[in-house]
Amino acid sequence: MFWRKRSAEDFSEEIKAHLELETDELKREGLGEDEARWKARRVFGSVRAAQERFYLKDRLVWLDNLLHDVQFALRQMGRSPGFAITAVSILALGIAANVIVFGVLQTIILQPIDVPQPDRVVTFSQRNHGYPAFSYPEVRDVRDGSTVFSAVGAESMSVFGLEVNGSTQPVWGEEVSGQYFEAVAIQPSLGRLLTRADDDHPGASQAAVLSWPAWKSRFGADPNVVGKTVRINKHSYTIVGVTQEGFNGTWKFLQPELFVPMANQASLDGVNWLENRLDKHVFPIARIKDGIAQPQVQAELNTIAARIARQNPREEDGLHFWLAPPGLAGDFIARPARRFLAGTMLLAGIVLLAACANLGGLFAARTADRTREIAIRLAVGSSRWRVVRQILIEAFLISMLGGACACGLSWLALTGLARWHPPTDYPIKFLVYPKPSLILMAFLVSVLAGVLFGLMPLRQIFNTDPIEAIKGGGNQSAAGRRWALRDVLLTVQIALCCVTVTAAFVSLRGLRNTLTMDLGINPKDAVLTKFDLSPAGYTAQAAEQLQRQLQETVSHIPGVEAAAYANTTPLADTVTTAVYSQQTTDFRPSKKAFEAYYYTVSPGYFAAAQTPLLEGRDIRTTDTATTPKVAVVSQEFARQLFHTEHAVGRSFKNSSGQSIQIIGIAAEGKYFLPSEEPDEAVFFPIQQRPSASVSLIVRTRPDVTGGSAAEMATTIRKTIHGLDPAIPIELSAPWTSALAFSFFPAQVATVALGLFGAFGLLLSITGTFGLASYTVSKRLRELSIRVALGARAKQVLSAALGRMLTLLTSGALAGMLLGVATSKVLSAIVYQASAQDPVVLAAVAGTILLTGAISVAGPVRRALRVNPAKLLRED
Amino acid sequence: MTTQENNDDRIALLQGTLDVLILKTLLMGPCHGQGVARLIQRQSEEVFLVDHGSLYLALQRLEDRKWISAKWGVSENNRKARFYSLTAKGREQLVAKTSEWRRLTRAMGLILDASKGPQNEEA
Repeated sequence: MFWRKRSAEDFSEEIKAHLELETDELKREGLGEDEARWKARRVFGSVRAAQERFYLKDRLVWLDNLLHDVQFALRQMGRSPGFAITAVSILALGIAANVIVFGVLQTIILQPIDVPQPDRVVTFSQRNHGYPAFSYPEVRDVRDGSTVFSAVGAESMSVFGLEVNGSTQPVWGEEVSGQYFEAVAIQPSLGRLLTRADDDHPGASQAAVLSWPAWKSRFGADPNVVGKTVRINKHSYTIVGVTQEGFNGTWKFLQPELFVPMANQASLDGVNWLENRLDKHVFPIARIKDGIAQPQVQAELNTIAARIARQNPREEDGLHFWLAPPGLAGDFIARPARRFLAGTMLLAGIVLLAACANLGGLFAARTADRTREIAIRLAVGSSRWRVVRQILIEAFLISMLGGACACGLSWLALTGLARWHPPTDYPIKFLVYPKPSLILMAFLVSVLAGVLFGLMPLRQIFNTDPIEAIKGGGNQSAAGRRWALRDVLLTVQIALCCVTVTAAFVSLRGLRNTLTMDLGINPKDAVLTKFDLSPAGYTAQAAEQLQRQLQETVSHIPGVEAAAYANTTPLADTVTTAVYSQQTTDFRPSKKAFEAYYYTVSPGYFAAAQTPLLEGRDIRTTDTATTPKVAVVSQEFARQLFHTEHAVGRSFKNSSGQSIQIIGIAAEGKYFLPSEEPDEAVFFPIQQRPSASVSLIVRTRPDVTGGSAAEMATTIRKTIHGLDPAIPIELSAPWTSALAFSFFPAQVATVALGLFGAFGLLLSITGTFGLASYTVSKRLRELSIRVALGARAKQVLSAALGRMLTLLTSGALAGMLLGVATSKVLSAIVYQASAQDPVVLAAVAGTILLTGAISVAGPVRRALRVNPAKLLRED
Repeated sequence: MTTQENNDDRIALLQGTLDVLILKTLLMGPCHGQGVARLIQRQSEEVFLVDHGSLYLALQRLEDRKWISAKWGVSENNRKARFYSLTAKGREQLVAKTSEWRRLTRAMGLILDASKGPQNEEA
């Protein structure tokens, strides 16, 4: 018979058979039955030993021991499921926090954009760490004059009215130059991409390319989409191809749906900025030739910049090209994003450390409970190392389970985040889909965590004296002992949790500040409607007429208090313009006084927006294209140019050398970010600078029916479509929700920090509660003796928990000091608030006290209810 | 003198030699474990008292190397027993190991008998 490996039973059978045969032989030699049997056994030696040696012969002893330990650990965990579940959940949350933040960091910051050989693809910015916007002629000059690039392209994002099968939708897309797709070097998944021929001159081609996600969602992944005709801004275009899957443009968080030739810019946008050297609408994207290093590229760019400046002294004075990685607007967005994510990673790390400290304390307590078991093990011959290994395996088991749960949690969170669309009309999406490398990260973090808290009981085990332990029955706590590891861990944990709670309160305060700050406008009870007339085919004159007509019509709707329009509004799209002093004769860009935020507004704007006019007058209908040029300016503008706020009647010059008289001073406001310092802004009459794209501001009277902002938004939409149904309306909503995006970073920060803070609080409660109950239960005998001897409640409490309160307070103080010390880091995440704010400190202290009180409430009651007689009777 | 004590010593001594003894014993025909033990004892004139635990492990080792093959059978007095027999490979090994052993003992003998000094060199 053939068997691969002989079983242990078979071996035992053979031994049995041997003993029988030997017994028989001995009987034949003359011994009695029992004597023969006994002698046979004795002569054989230890049957057990032989069996064991047979069993061990082929096995990997270490693997065997490991499996055995794992089984034991699982049984232990099964015996106390509460502990196991708590431990795994705490760890899962801590690890998940780290993995999620790392996932976002990886996608947004660490990874380059998804194109072939991404290290060869670059963009430029005007200043080091500046915004990478240029004029098209500048990028063209680089393209024509450089030798280090294999392709130099340009892109400009815009919203288009896309008409498919009769219905028009606003769609975000890119106007791209001929070499754009060469620079990114992707392949089409269908048809072809735009080439140099498409961009040769305005009207050279009516080709359009779809992005892969747009092809899936808007065209239902139609395989016959190539050759289909659509209308873009009322012009006929043919779809010639679809980009490859996975290409999401050259921005990390904006997803364009459509690509059209930049040469057609004028017909698409209704206004021509293509050849204007002063209109910085274009983002460059270039691919460096193989084998050429960055310093060489930078040097050539500097030469080109100098040459352009020489050839165009008026417009290009002071031009610079700084190399920057594409995707996050050079360093403009990358810098704050990096700082935010780094700060969040730090907090996540702190939370994980606190969780480990918590678990370490729990583990140490459990080990102390098992001294008897450990002592017995040591007594029967186990090495201390074997015991330590057992504890470590338990720790690893918990950390691996925690890590596995964390993977699941992170996957859910990241997928949710990837699907979420921030409250803005920009096509922003964070494509942070989870990747397998995150599993590796979770695994590493789990191992680290396991080692950290698994090694806590180490000293305890090595110091266990078996004899003492068995005699003492497991009760090892003596009053007046030195600080145990458990105590240190609790303090560390409280301190760390304090930091997270501080961070949470700081962000709450910051958010409150942000929401109540003076924006210079009153978005409450107002409706913002944004629409663009050029896609609907309006000329400049027709547009102006329609806008005025609309203002008239809307003003007469019941419930409307005031209506006005402007090219854009504060805290929305920003445009700037160069401002020169009245005395200037040289209008090169470097001679300007400053750049001011630029608004063109209709009469009545300041009333509709409720921006106080401090001096002078509003724009009037009599300020037209033929009357002298005038403007209203912000306080900061006046301060910067004239060093006084009383500047009505004085003048300044624009970049074309025209003199503009100041007719009014507007109150301070926020124009780009809610967190900015007061900035310069100028308001021109819209009649003197018409715009096809406008924002209509309507102030409502909420007490009138139909006067709530949300209802009014719908009414206005209907009114506009009543005038012309073909006008694509980008947005019509209460102004407060339209502004939500500006507060979006503060809100995100608050949510994130709030979560961390809540988790930190939860950890401190469980940690404190755990240690308090443990301390009380261990010292019940001692406490009962004290009570029997006549101690009063207060004395009992101070004996039981006095030490713990010291730990709590010292931990909290340490934590608050740490929080203050790290306020610089926190300010990277949340502005407008610092950890040194006394309100914040008071709130943190209060919270810690409260949670401390809650945690020890249970054990305190137990300590006070101790029944000495009953307790002393038991052992 | 019983050689039951000092298991470690015995193993060290007999690991290689036990194999040879077993192979030789089985040369005479298939035998079960207890029989092999008795035979070795008898034939060595009671010098070798085999530790039965080690014997069975040695038998298992030889079986794993396919020098012997095993089969359950019935003994003379109708007891169940596992019978071992020599394979062809085992036979070869026996020859090889026997000559090796003879070389070893001859060398030992030469050295141990060379107490008369280096002059006494016999072929």
